[in-house]
Amino acid sequence: MTNEIAIIKIKRLILNIAKYALLIFSAFVALVPIVSCVITAFKTDEEYATTNVMTLPESWLNFDNFVIAWQKADMGHAFLNSFIVLVCVLAGSVLISSMLAYVLNRFKFHGNSLIRNLFTIATLIPGIATQVTVYQIMTSLHLINSLPGYIILMMGTDVITIYIFLQFFENLPVSLDESAILDGCSYFGVFFKILLPLLKPAVVTSAILKGVSTYNEYYMANLYLQDKTKYQVVSTSLYVFSGPMGSQYNYICAGVLITIIPALIIFLLCQDQIYSGMAAGAVKG
Amino acid sequence: MSKSTAAAKPRKTFGQWLKSMRGQQIVCTIVFLVLPLLLLFTFTYLPFFKMVQFSFFDMRYIGRRTFVGLENYIDVFTRDDCFQALLLSLYYMAGSVVQMALALLFATILSFKVKGDKFFRGALYFPCLICGISVGFIFKFFFTHGFVLDTLLSWVGFNVEALPYWLRDESINNIVLVACSIWKYIGTNIVMFIGAIASVDSTLYEAADIDGANAWHRFKDIILPSIRTIVVLNLIISVSGALSAFEMPYVVTGGGFGTSTYFVIMDKLAHTDQKVGLASAMAVVLLLLIMIVTYAQKAVERWMDKRDSRTPKALVQTDPNTAATASSASPAKVN
Amino acid sequence: MKKAIALTLAAGLSVSLLAGCGSSQNSSGSQTGESGSTLPAYNELTVGEDYTDLKAEIKVITNRTDLEGDGTLAGYVAAFQEMYPNITITNETITDYANDMTTRLTNPDWGDVCMIPTTIPLPELSDYFYPLCDLSAIEDEYNFADNRAYDGKVYGIPSICNAQGVVYNKAVFEEAGITELPTTPTEFLDALQKIKDNTDAIPLYTNYAAGWTMTAWDAYIGGSTGDPNWMNVTMPQTHDAFAPGVPTGDSESGPYAVFNVLYQAVKLGLTEDDPTTTDWEGSKTMMNNGEIGTMVLGSWAVVQMQQAGPNADDIGYMPFPISVDGVQYASAGSDYCYGVNINSSDDEKIASMLYIKWLSESSNFSYDQGGIPVLKSQEYPETLAAFDGIELVADAPAPTELADLASNVQQDAELTLNADETHGKRVVEAAINGDETLDDIVADWNAAWNDAVDRNAPQ
Repeated sequence: MTNEIAIIKIKRLILNIAKYALLIFSAFVALVPIVSCVITAFKTDEEYATTNVMTLPESWLNFDNFVIAWQKADMGHAFLNSFIVLVCVLAGSVLISSMLAYVLNRFKFHGNSLIRNLFTIATLIPGIATQVTVYQIMTSLHLINSLPGYIILMMGTDVITIYIFLQFFENLPVSLDESAILDGCSYFGVFFKILLPLLKPAVVTSAILKGVSTYNEYYMANLYLQDKTKYQVVSTSLYVFSGPMGSQYNYICAGVLITIIPALIIFLLCQDQIYSGMAAGAVKG
Repeated sequence: MSKSTAAAKPRKTFGQWLKSMRGQQIVCTIVFLVLPLLLLFTFTYLPFFKMVQFSFFDMRYIGRRTFVGLENYIDVFTRDDCFQALLLSLYYMAGSVVQMALALLFATILSFKVKGDKFFRGALYFPCLICGISVGFIFKFFFTHGFVLDTLLSWVGFNVEALPYWLRDESINNIVLVACSIWKYIGTNIVMFIGAIASVDSTLYEAADIDGANAWHRFKDIILPSIRTIVVLNLIISVSGALSAFEMPYVVTGGGFGTSTYFVIMDKLAHTDQKVGLASAMAVVLLLLIMIVTYAQKAVERWMDKRDSRTPKALVQTDPNTAATASSASPAKVN
Repeated sequence: MKKAIALTLAAGLSVSLLAGCGSSQNSSGSQTGESGSTLPAYNELTVGEDYTDLKAEIKVITNRTDLEGDGTLAGYVAAFQEMYPNITITNETITDYANDMTTRLTNPDWGDVCMIPTTIPLPELSDYFYPLCDLSAIEDEYNFADNRAYDGKVYGIPSICNAQGVVYNKAVFEEAGITELPTTPTEFLDALQKIKDNTDAIPLYTNYAAGWTMTAWDAYIGGSTGDPNWMNVTMPQTHDAFAPGVPTGDSESGPYAVFNVLYQAVKLGLTEDDPTTTDWEGSKTMMNNGEIGTMVLGSWAVVQMQQAGPNADDIGYMPFPISVDGVQYASAGSDYCYGVNINSSDDEKIASMLYIKWLSESSNFSYDQGGIPVLKSQEYPETLAAFDGIELVADAPAPTELADLASNVQQDAELTLNADETHGKRVVEAAINGDETLDDIVADWNAAWNDAVDRNAPQ
């Protein structure tokens, strides 16, 4: 019996070592491209030209590259635009997706499953392929070169957000709705007053996922927000670096880091909520 | 809300109907569905139907066009490059299976007691926070001969001169790109899986622990069945993503040295050669292919369901209270 | 608020559904006749005297991100506004110009002046661009005035004109012991070999990764034949246009010879080790510092190489090393041409024409950029000194009935010359991998080309 316990203990120990070795290795793999970026971002032009890329910079306080990158890419402006886009897109897509999920989950009507299928199939239609026709539609709606136009386009419901809300509604007992209705609430009231506040964890989770993809979206932003001096967003501001500064990786890396930092901060702040939101959403089989 | 009462004014009986639960439900359904469906129609289906229409024409982005019937489709099937490019998708498909397996592994590990779990979760999700343009910059820098990767490998004893050119060598460059894409996208899968695993009823683990089930059994018999829906959803998305792989070759290699995936070729045909009709036909063919693959996946899933239902039911589907007995009765448990 | 958006969407949608996408052409086509007659023609305007109190706002879209970044474009605007204080000019530059601009043209509101993308077939220019004047009115004064002209009307004014040659580093050539500039492919490859043997420089830098740099090779095709009619008239009616010895009967000239230089250079290890991670901006500095021997680029690149470091004097420019019957030719022609939006208002059109005219005649833009001058009366820049005594071959336009033949055949064959980088890249890849000979590639190209010729050329 003691022998058995010893064996189990050794097994556990080996498993544990393997586990941490794996985790550390993969965290290293995940971070090393960025670490190389950080190292390079602090190098002066001369250092960059003369030292190996993985040699540490002479001074970790050399923020010149960040200043240059910030100015060249006009990032202050870009952050402001990105912020506006993010707020509107998130508010819109959360509201739209939750309303859709509410109706699909709570009401039985003809076409319910058809609508679900339409949204699922929509994820399979490759966006790059339909870009020409989308552009024509945006043109005829006069939505080109305008922030609202881009916002509406980005709000276009995506299935992950809807899915998260659908799962969440599944776990909110229908008795909640029923008792509210007995109290004289309308369906709108049920949704806005009773259910929406309860959806907070799902809202946070979906907002983070959608927020990250919106913040990083560059293909459509480049196509539809053409006047870069007015409507540049953070992701497209990086295009500056593929032009005249294409080789100066010390600037490029600084620019890349500047764009990552806000996303990183928000992610770290909300990390717990994301997971608990996912869990509360009870993504069950 | 105000809209519905306003509309109710003209007729009393209609107003009454509106106030009835049934009427309210219909109004609510319509009001809540209009916007999502309108957006879906405008920015997904309308462009899609137009694209299908384009695929029957010989046309450029702008200018005159002629109807050519099925010629574009015949072209897609007779050209060598289209279907050769689809072979590349096999790399990405294999990659997406690896990605799912790794994501499950990390999610499982990180769902239980681990020191520094927050750090590891954050680190693995981190690449998801990076914009595609940045990824292009970063990886070109990373893989340049004698730069980051080569330096790291030289530290552990590799001779830099003997190392391959990561993006040039056609025997490895596609694998390198697939690895990059796993790096970039695995974080989302991990987040979703961790969330799903957290929702598994923890009494099930306790019951299993009493039975002395090891980690593998815990994963296979409790976790996997519980989160199967979301695993399948992720798998479908990433396999269809593999067929339409675009971003990595586009931003890192520009499709050179045999890394042109189906979409990179399509993009070139549509833009450089202005063969919009042909490119549209390619997109339609790919969509059909994706649907077939998706359907096949679902069929396999259903078949597995049937097979499962013949053996004793998976743990989650039983009542937690009886789980202990169920698990001890399960033939899968070998102590 | 939501309702408002929904309504706008629905309203706009029904318009787009009813109208389809042919609408933009119809409406723009009909405007040509209305507005064309009332405005003064481009050649009639005198910059600095006419319309000096004109009030207009125009948007100018170009591909020169570098010039926007360093303030050059803003400088031009300021100089122009000294004469026209009430004309406001907004510059916009696009990195992926050819693709993005083509898409944008589908929107009638794209702006007022842009560089006309070569993706638009000449007969369709009038759907998008305002006819500036008759070709006969400016062809005596302007170089390459016929570049974007159709049916006797000019739709585009050259922004800058290029001679097509090879940028080289004189110091590297000297160190390698090259005393005379090579004039044939064999001499050129010998010279590259000398650079490899005697110096540390990379003999020929392909700039493969930047992509568009690979299209430079196409620009030598015209010069390699010594025949001005080759590109637009003869080639799109010639079978096996890429085969050795076509059309000159000598495998040291013609399109095959151009690509053979590239293939052999890569195959003999005379180019950079890893083309996938080359870097365009960095290559300028390397060229300036003598780390690179040669690069094949249009004359516009010379100034940029000179400015990329302290050694401006080391940068030289020579004709592409191909001779036909002992005579060395060089392709020359217009870069992108400025066009004016047909949908702009009359005032905007006049303002646009004034600005274009000022840019091409008074701004010294072409000279500053080391190009062949836009006006025939202007001086050649010094960088083109090595071209003295070289016959410049400007591709002659095709007759009206064949105006879009060249672009149709090229696009049909998926060999869009001067725009598509894939065929140049394929040569590099094949030479590195060793899995295809140049003859294999050329056989593929010829097959596609012959099909396209049969489908498009008049029988």
